[in-house]
This record gives sequence, C-alpha cells and structure tokens, in this order.
Amino acid sequence: MMPLIEFDDVGFNYGEENLFNNLCAQIFENDCIALVGRNGIGKTTLLRLVAGILAPSSGEVRLKHRALDSLKHREIARTVAFVPQNVEIPFSFTVKQFVEQGRTPFLKMFGGLDTADYRAIDRAMTLTDTLSLSSRAFNELSGGERQRVKIALGLAQQPQLLLLDEPMQHLDIGRQFEMIDLIGTLRDEGIAILASMHDLSLIEGVFSIVWLLSQGEEMRQGSPREMLQPKLLERAFNCSLRHRPRLVEHTRNRMERAI
Amino acid sequence: MVSEVTERDGVANRGTQDSGQHWLLAILLSLLVLSMLVAAGIGAVQVPVRLLAESAVGMSQLSDDQRTILFAIRLPRILAAALVGSGLSVSGLLFQGLFRNPLADPYVIGSSGGAVLGASLGVFLVPAVSIAGFGTTALLAFAGAMGSIVLVYWLASSNGRTPVVALLLAGFAVSTMLSYSSYFLEVLDHDFGQGMHILSSWLHGIIAQPTWPQLLIVGGMLALGLAGSVPLARRLNTLALGEEYATHLGISVQQTRIAVIVIGSLLTAAAVALGGLISFTGLIIPHILRMILGPDHVRLLPSTALAGALFLVVADTAARTIIAPAELPVGVLTAFIGGPFFLYLLRKARREVLS
Repeated sequence: MMPLIEFDDVGFNYGEENLFNNLCAQIFENDCIALVGRNGIGKTTLLRLVAGILAPSSGEVRLKHRALDSLKHREIARTVAFVPQNVEIPFSFTVKQFVEQGRTPFLKMFGGLDTADYRAIDRAMTLTDTLSLSSRAFNELSGGERQRVKIALGLAQQPQLLLLDEPMQHLDIGRQFEMIDLIGTLRDEGIAILASMHDLSLIEGVFSIVWLLSQGEEMRQGSPREMLQPKLLERAFNCSLRHRPRLVEHTRNRMERAI
Repeated sequence: MVSEVTERDGVANRGTQDSGQHWLLAILLSLLVLSMLVAAGIGAVQVPVRLLAESAVGMSQLSDDQRTILFAIRLPRILAAALVGSGLSVSGLLFQGLFRNPLADPYVIGSSGGAVLGASLGVFLVPAVSIAGFGTTALLAFAGAMGSIVLVYWLASSNGRTPVVALLLAGFAVSTMLSYSSYFLEVLDHDFGQGMHILSSWLHGIIAQPTWPQLLIVGGMLALGLAGSVPLARRLNTLALGEEYATHLGISVQQTRIAVIVIGSLLTAAAVALGGLISFTGLIIPHILRMILGPDHVRLLPSTALAGALFLVVADTAARTIIAPAELPVGVLTAFIGGPFFLYLLRKARREVLS
C-alpha cells in the first residue's frame, strides 16, 4: 500500500533550536494517529511540515511519493487539510462563508463556486453537524462550535488526510466527547487523521496509533497501549506519575474497556 | 445550473443572498442616476430635472446657455465626483481587506498623502510636461501613493500582522509628513501663487473643474482598477483567515499583497488627481455596506463602487450649494461627516479591532 505521507530522515531547526533529527515515519490511508508530547516539543511544527507550510531543514517529506517542496500549495491542500489551533478573522464572516474558503484550492482564477463545490461544502457541514450554524457569525460561536466549523472548512477541501492541531483545546468534557465522536466518524469515512492531543485519556478507542515525542529522543510510534505507559509518559512529559496513581489507573481502566 | 441546486438550507441561502445583493445594486444605480440628474439641475442657473430628463430622451430642447452650463461645467464636475468617490471607496475596501483591518482607508493610512506629494511635485517642478492636464502629475501621484503605502505597511506590520494602533500611528505620521512636505515645494514655485493655489485646493479636497480628456483618463484608470480588483476580491476573503492559512489554501499572499497595493494606489492616484485629499470616504462607504451585505469582498466590490460614487456626488453637490455663491471644499464636508463616524467605529469596535 502506498503511504500518503512519508517522512524521510527529516530534520528541522527552529532558529538555533533543533526540533527534529532523522525523523522517519509514514502515514497510510485509514490511519488515525494521535501526536503526543509536552508543550513546545514541536507538535504543531510537525503538522506544519506535513501540510507543506514549513519546509524541513534536512531530509524530505513526501506526499504520495512526491516531494512536498515540488508541489504547489494548491495541490497539497486538495489532499491534506490543516486545521490550525487558532483562527482569528477580522470581519464577521458567516459560518457558511468561512467554510466556503475550503474550496479555494479548487477555484480557478476568475471562477466562482460551482455545484460540485457546494456539494462538498454541504457534505462537510453535514458531517460536522454545522448546517444549523450556517448564517451565524464565526466570531460569535462558542469554543465547541468554532472547533467543528474549523473542521468543516478542512473537510470542504475533500482531503485524504486531516491534520488537527489541538482539537480538544478549550472544550468542556461534553464537547470533548462530541469531538472524539466526530473524529471517529471521519475515520470511518476513510479520512486519515493526525491530531496533536493533550488529553491522554481521550486517545484510546478512536486513535489506532500514537506518535510520542520526547526531548532528545527519536519519536516513538506504536499502539496507544504500547505508548501510554507510565514509564514512557514520565520521560516524555518530564514528570512523575507515581504521585498520581489514580490518574494512571483511570487511564489504564479506560484502555482495557476500550480493548 | 440553478436547477441542479439542492434544497438544503445551506445552499438555499445562496439564492436569497444573491438576489438581495442584486436589489441593492439596482437601488444604488437608480439613486446614482437620480442624484446626478438632480445635481445637474442645481446651481446658480437652475435647470428643472423634468426638463433634463425630457431632453435626454429628445422630447424637449435645452437653451444654448443651459447646454453650455451642463456640458462644460456641471456634468464634468458631477462625473468627476462620481469617479473620485468610486475610486476612494474601492481602494478603501481593498486596503481594509489587505490589512485585515476595517479602519484602513487611503486617507488614514497615508496613501493619499503620498499621492498629494507626488502630484504637487508634478505641479511645481515639472509643470511644463503634461498631457491633457496631468501626465506626469498623475504618474507621480501614483508613485507617491504606492511609496507611502509600502512605507506604512512596512512600519506597521510585525509577524505578518498589522495591529490597528501601529497602522493608525504609522499612517498618521507618514500622511502628515507627506502632506506638509508639499508646502516646502512652495519655495520652489516660480510661478508665484498659481501652483500654491492648486496645491491648497488639493489639500482641502476640492473637485476642480475637470476637462473631458482628464475625465477620460481618470475614468480609464478607474475602470482598469475595478477590473483588476475582481480577481482579488475572493482572495481577500481567504486572506481574512490569516496569511499562513491562506498560503496553505493555495493563495499566493505575496502576489496578492503586491496586486492590492498597485491597484489600490492606482485608484487613489486617480481620485487624488481629480479631487485632492478627500478624507474618510474610503472608510465609511465600505463599512456601511459591510453592515448591510456582510464582509464578502466579492459581493462588496460592485456595491462599494456605486455607493462611493453616489456618496460623493451628493456630498459635492451639497458642498457647492449650501453656502452659495461661495463653495466649500468637499473634503471639509466629508471630514465633518466621516470624522465622527470614524470615532464612533473606533469606540464601538474597540474590543474586537484594537486587539
């Protein structure tokens, strides 16, 4: 099977700081990957590398065997949709106008949206259950609604891979469960997902793979069960879980239930 | 096409919004024609609107005096007002989209100041070189507008954002500097008084009596600018998401930025060449329409062009009649209307805009 994305020996420096070295990884269709690591370790940077927004300092990121540097942003955006953590817009665009922007990579220089575009938008909004928000102003939405609408924009790109940067941020527990369900729905739609996640207890059940970034080590990859071990997490997050036995137990119980 | 559209609410919305826009365009267009007719009739010599309308369709004849007043004096001036209003409003719309900031306008961000400096350089230093009244003057106005906006943009932006405070301060400083530096050129004025008079009118924003060739040139610049804005409008929508996101979606931010600056400066220069420094028009017109139509630039573009023309035709007619036989520079009038409106916006939107 052809990988959607390949990291081939990728290194990335952010100014003086070296974030990645010799990163090798692949994303296949139907993968649902949680990207885990402490703040500032480079989760967002990694997502940006996959989206082609940043170029690696060394090595190569490939989309279906083609180097991302050789592709136009338009072409990448038809396969890979990046949903950023924060979107600030200066004017009160409606939700519908916001989601329509997802068709930008498909538009011709002078053309407007055609029926196929509207169909994609409609589908994206149906999947994210945002049709009822169509005429609301994006800037006036609640955190949970905003998150769903941002994903709708990504889905309007009809991507094969969806990159989610902290999709659980600012969500209450109920909205977090909704978001997890939505990610599950998208996975079942056949869209590969790579999402940076902070709340480890939400990972199992939906995500099939965990990428664990820790300081000064190579990125680890494996099933949630393999990766969410107290020992590994303690190293990755530079903290002691021994003083929080209930948290560990809680996580383990939920994992076992899910499996 | 339309028959294929499904009846989901998301899609159905589109039809109603579009027809709303068409209605607005039709209303604006008829108001513009009406205001031009009324403006043509008003003045020291009154020409009844009915007579104008009838003569337009060949039902009655105008006297020679009336004909001279209309074609040599009033119509050129009315058309000039329409062109200036349109140019300023559309460039205001473009700059607001580019700066991602509803408070940008050619006057506030200093591009009209640059255009005035360029134009006065033309008037004072190379007055002999001119084609149909401008030529070098219009070219220098264009260069001045572009130079000052690049300067303001560079001064005000950090990390791809232009915070409103930085924008307003940089724009204010640059525009004041440029406008006043025009006075230095007075020293170089060999033709005492003549150039100064032209300059002083410009700084107050007065629509002089243009010749038909001048109108043609400015009309051409406006048409060119409007045509160039059409493909930019949709990109400005995407740019509202932020530069990085827009880049991801396949917009070439750099190209769009350059295109907006060139076209916005062209429109500003066209307006300044005819009307000098007319404040706030480019700010309030796009803003009012955004309240009615929403922020979609594709939808805003044609209505902004029409509403800007309408606004300045009405304002200029008022300016030349309210204290007749004396005449008020229209820039003074727009400052009195636009200034309070600008302050109101600043207060109302402080929280959302000043962040």
